[in-house]
Amino acid sequence: MINRIKKNSRVIRVLIGLRFQNLMMIRLGFFGPFFVDGSLFLIQLVVFQTIYTEVDRIGTWESGEMILYIGTFSMLNAINMLIYFFGVIGIPDKIKSGEMDLYLTKPISPLLRLSFEKINLGSFPLVIMSAFIIVYGISLGNIQLTVEKIVVYIFWMLIMSILYYDLIVIIRSISFFVISNSNITRVEEAGLELCMQLPGIVFYGVYKFIFYCVLPYGILATIPVQSLLGELKVINAIYGIMVVAVFTVITCVIWKRGIRHYNSASS
Amino acid sequence: MRKYIEIAKIYIKAQLVWRVDVVFNMVFTITKILFAYLLWGAIFGTKTEVAGFTFYSMLSYYIISTFLNQLDMSSGISNEISAKIRNGTFSKYMTIPVNIEKYFIAMEAGVVAFYLTFDFIAAIVWIYIFKIEFVFTTNFVMIAGALLMILLGLLFMVQLNYYLGLLTLKYQEIGTFLMIKNNIVAFVTGSIVPLVLLPDAFVSVMKLFPFYYVTYLPSMLLIGRYQNEMLIGLIVIFLWCVLLQIVIQVTWKKYRRKYDGVGI
Repeated sequence: MINRIKKNSRVIRVLIGLRFQNLMMIRLGFFGPFFVDGSLFLIQLVVFQTIYTEVDRIGTWESGEMILYIGTFSMLNAINMLIYFFGVIGIPDKIKSGEMDLYLTKPISPLLRLSFEKINLGSFPLVIMSAFIIVYGISLGNIQLTVEKIVVYIFWMLIMSILYYDLIVIIRSISFFVISNSNITRVEEAGLELCMQLPGIVFYGVYKFIFYCVLPYGILATIPVQSLLGELKVINAIYGIMVVAVFTVITCVIWKRGIRHYNSASS
Repeated sequence: MRKYIEIAKIYIKAQLVWRVDVVFNMVFTITKILFAYLLWGAIFGTKTEVAGFTFYSMLSYYIISTFLNQLDMSSGISNEISAKIRNGTFSKYMTIPVNIEKYFIAMEAGVVAFYLTFDFIAAIVWIYIFKIEFVFTTNFVMIAGALLMILLGLLFMVQLNYYLGLLTLKYQEIGTFLMIKNNIVAFVTGSIVPLVLLPDAFVSVMKLFPFYYVTYLPSMLLIGRYQNEMLIGLIVIFLWCVLLQIVIQVTWKKYRRKYDGVGI
């Protein structure tokens, strides 16, 4: 186990090194992801600031809490863009073109390589911007911080980053079994678009079932924010960990079955 | 004119090939309606009126503006032109005996004509599913004015995307810029929230720009508000169409020679 971790760490280091070299060659659009997603979240911020000039609270959250939510979602998105997004989104094309063959012949996990081969440093400013939004939300909401709360918040951010990763990989892995997954990725886009604008606290009934269980985008940023606010109940914390565990198992199963189902270029 | 009608007809037929896409396009209009339903549902739980909107007039606004947004599929034009210039296949448009801009206008007209019915059905379905007491004006003048403004707005968006696509001749890679543009346009056209919620100074400035008249004002007119802005709105969006047409011609004349037809 320890040897495996050591080996994988070495592989990740090599992949990051190669990526740096590659990025230095192709500088055009280096900060593209930052500008695109940065503008999206800044607009989101303006929208909610505007709405809060008309109302005091949405659900139980005031302006500060909502800004914290936007910052948290932006941070999860930034981590995703920085580390694995650009590698994982290439999975469907690699399956269709048969390029996955190259990944299967290497003596490392194909998913590990795909996840770390396209680290995007141009997204790093998004992390900084998100941190500023989070700090702004905390100060505006007069949220009392303790070391314990901060540690728990960071823990939930890490856990939810895994869930985000699981969801992205599951949807791309469906390409092993179908000819085109373009409309399935639209489900992801729709879920993300909705949940980056709406915190989980406004969902109820069937909407809560969909965005907490089926497509759990609704809990991605909601649970970390609730933990920082001290609103997270034990039952919800257990539920959050269970969802991440279940989706991680589903990811592993789908990926392994997908690899077995893969028929090279004819997939 | 006949050849452009033929182009529009071809694009109507082409949409039939992508039947699953048509269904998904209809289904995914729910995202914005659901956003509005949940967000404004939570807000109107404690208030009866926000910026002159009741809960149902707010949802009616989102239904109409989402319908109009779905109709505008012109953002694909800038991506297509940009990609074709970059890979050298833009020559196709230069060799066929049509005006390239009119070709794209006809293309957009064909796509809009096809999706009109389906988007309308989707809007009716959402009104029924969410049990919305739909607010719609009965004033014929406002309806006629809004329809004319919608047509001019669609034309403006085609022109804008055509122009941005042409900028690839000079700047080569505009993909990032186009994505940022999409984010900003969604905001300034009032697709995310009605512009009336924004500060007055911002709205006053926006009235000088065409985006105010692409989705926002027509939607407001169709729910029976802002009749006094209708005439000036039609004039402003018309003037922007004329201005952009001049800019397009100047740009095309200036940069067309940069196109080498071999790809970048």
